Amino acid sequence: MNSLIIEYEKYKLENGLEVILHRNNNIPLVSVNIWYKVGSANEVKGKTGLAHLFEHMMFQGSEHVAKEMHFKLIQEAGGSLNGSTSFDRTNYYEKLPSNYLELALWLESDRMGFLLPAMTEEKLKNQIDVVSNERLERYDNQPYGLAWEIILQNIYPDNHPYNWATIGSLEDIKNFTLDDVNSFFTQYYSPSNATLVVCGDIDLDIAKGLIDKYFGELKSNVSNKNNSAATIKLLENKLINRKEDVQLERTHIAWPTEPSYSSFDAPLAVIADILSGSKGSRLYKKLVFNKQVAQDISAFQFSGKFGGHFMIISTAKPNVNLNEIKNLIFEEIENIAENGVSDFELIKSKNSIKAGFVYSMQNLSNLADHLNHYNFYLDEPNSFAFDLNRFESVTNEDIKIAAQNYLAKPYVELNISPKF
Amino acid sequence: MNKLNRNLIPVPSELKSFSLPDISTIYLKNGLKVICVEKTELPIIQTYLVSNCGSKFDPQDKKGLANLFSMCIDEGAGDLNALELSDRFEMLGTDFSVSSSSDSFLISMMSLKDNFEKSFELFSLIVTRPEFGENNFIREKNKILTALAQLKDEPSQIAAQIFPYNLFGKENIYAYPSYGYESTIKQITVDDIKNFYKEYFSPSNSFVILVGDMDTNSVERIMNKTIGHWEGNLKDEPKITVSKNKLRKVYLYNKPHSVQSEIILGHISGKKHLPEYFQKLVLNKIFGGGFSSRINKNLREEKGFTYGASSNFGYYKNAGFFSASTSVNIENTANAVNEILIEMENIGKSISPKELSFAKSSIIKQFPSGFETYKQVARNLISKEVFSLPDDYFDNFIRFVSDVQLNDLLSLAGKFIDSGNVVINVVGDKEKLKNQLKNIKADKFYEVDLKGEIISEI
Repeated sequence: MNSLIIEYEKYKLENGLEVILHRNNNIPLVSVNIWYKVGSANEVKGKTGLAHLFEHMMFQGSEHVAKEMHFKLIQEAGGSLNGSTSFDRTNYYEKLPSNYLELALWLESDRMGFLLPAMTEEKLKNQIDVVSNERLERYDNQPYGLAWEIILQNIYPDNHPYNWATIGSLEDIKNFTLDDVNSFFTQYYSPSNATLVVCGDIDLDIAKGLIDKYFGELKSNVSNKNNSAATIKLLENKLINRKEDVQLERTHIAWPTEPSYSSFDAPLAVIADILSGSKGSRLYKKLVFNKQVAQDISAFQFSGKFGGHFMIISTAKPNVNLNEIKNLIFEEIENIAENGVSDFELIKSKNSIKAGFVYSMQNLSNLADHLNHYNFYLDEPNSFAFDLNRFESVTNEDIKIAAQNYLAKPYVELNISPKF
Repeated sequence: MNKLNRNLIPVPSELKSFSLPDISTIYLKNGLKVICVEKTELPIIQTYLVSNCGSKFDPQDKKGLANLFSMCIDEGAGDLNALELSDRFEMLGTDFSVSSSSDSFLISMMSLKDNFEKSFELFSLIVTRPEFGENNFIREKNKILTALAQLKDEPSQIAAQIFPYNLFGKENIYAYPSYGYESTIKQITVDDIKNFYKEYFSPSNSFVILVGDMDTNSVERIMNKTIGHWEGNLKDEPKITVSKNKLRKVYLYNKPHSVQSEIILGHISGKKHLPEYFQKLVLNKIFGGGFSSRINKNLREEKGFTYGASSNFGYYKNAGFFSASTSVNIENTANAVNEILIEMENIGKSISPKELSFAKSSIIKQFPSGFETYKQVARNLISKEVFSLPDDYFDNFIRFVSDVQLNDLLSLAGKFIDSGNVVINVVGDKEKLKNQLKNIKADKFYEVDLKGEIISEI
């Protein structure tokens, strides 16, 4: 499909910064997106949440940019901006009118090269408070809000980098010092550990000149670190039962699976869609539509560089026993492992995944982030068609084997039920 | 080569021109208005149908009717049952969804260009020949009743529910959540849904918006043979009564074991009309619209009370309000409310020319990015239709923002953001809050139930 072919130019500056350019002048906007190859997977126990807290510090100004000016200047230019941290990487991005490209490059290069002179105790203390509140708002004060963290702790071994959530523990967050932040910067934030994507309404030569002007003189201080991970293997089922302030019982079942782009990553994602992706999907139809024992059901394959897991989450209707739901879920998993799925289900799922690829191309920020994503995981930014093909080529045999190899194996089960 | 001087903020290069998409309007033989925008970068079409039949038409004892209607309408139509409809959409790669708000009923559909005609046939079938079977009705009704039971777990949703109740007052149709209450939903029958369809949902109170890769002729052909057959009557707008609050009142909903407090406060403000709308837009940008706003700077970047604080002027078709909201750690609940109140008092006292130029620049320069995705273009046109804005609204948008003057803002700020008249809602743990709640600089303190109804004075 033509709309999935993205022309780009990729090169490296002398200091090791990788650059990817893509021109698309549909609308006078430009997206600047940087991935640093560091995430919570690079943290150690006792210092969890550092990568994410650090991301916050990157918005607190740098040597030549006063506190608050980073946000202010981009917003004044009509742009939008943010950053995010995951297990594998941290990204920073802004989208602004294309005539402000130079502003974005100046700001990004300043915090890439000159962050430390602007670091202060006061800024750190403030952002520790902000991030503590972020954790409370998004996890602790949400119903079932700790489920993700608990699943990670139980499914990934103690020494595996996905054993804790990216947000980190409240205790660790509150204890970070300026030393922690500063050494994190010197360890991971360097041109040689980053990839810059500029895409949108640009002139390629002008963009290259500006990138060279602002990033060319930055020094690299780190060589790429190779992180490794313990293998994930559950020898037996793990059952966790919790009582919380919730109205309804919810079960979470998680199986260890495979890293991103491994052979069964896509088949597992297709299984997830066939189980719960639409009204006519197997588990939705059975649990929510026909028997009406569950209020909701979702299934997904989560995967990163160092591992993955497949997860099913379902909330019981009032007065329904969670066991009934679990039995139906396992029955369906066994059914797929044994018999696979129908051609109709497989085609339906592939069609909606394919359309989803086309719909996702509407947004420049999304496009820029995807170029970085594919470059990071596959070393090839223009991988939209390749990625789609992973799904389109899934066979019924793949589905069966994926279910047998992974979903017919030991799992972590977390049940959360009302306190009262 | 000279060493780069990083202290210099780069200046922008020459501004690229941005042109608004061309809009064409056609009327079908049944009077249905169809607005088309050609956008051809991708082979996709975004479709919306918007109908002026939201929950504002719900009878007092059947709150939640319009929403339940929207949940039932795609559960079987023509000869196809609910699962067949869903399967067919998925087979075409088409995303289809229905929703309902206080003012409007809305269907959204995203399809590939090649599958548009087939998808729209299903769309039209749902609009013109919904089945409203008893079994589907019961299932959907139970679904919303269960969702309402779960609402007790969600502090931000509780806050969003009790705020309008005390803001607008019981007599006002906008006081009620569009999804209704347990007691009122239980009153609704499948006949109520069928009657709602007949009496409130019609081509004369609806319009269709299409954004995508298409030509007007084929659109007209497809529309006329499908949705062009839809018949129905027009309903009058329900009456709106607005009683203005005069004091600062605190409404606490006790949610034991909360680890944060959810705060939303505000007051009634005017309907959406020009040029006031633009003055408020600029004023809000300064006060609480975005990261660099006064309240976010104060509560987040200076005090560290919260992950974020923001405000906005919200609009219904026939009412408007101002609100500010944040989630804060328990110890600073009263402090956070007081800081917002102080900012409300201060905004009328001084606004610097720098703040004004920042806000105007940000809004003006951001304008083109509001037309990037197909949904965004369509959403912009929906709001223009719903609020009956002039045809040249988008052409003049930038001029309207530029025209906002510092003197006007200073004289109007105290009226637009009125610190003496504030409904303050807090959702949190009463036990942990009891020693500080009265520190909030307010006149009255109440504890309320889940609906927002006063249980007792504190």
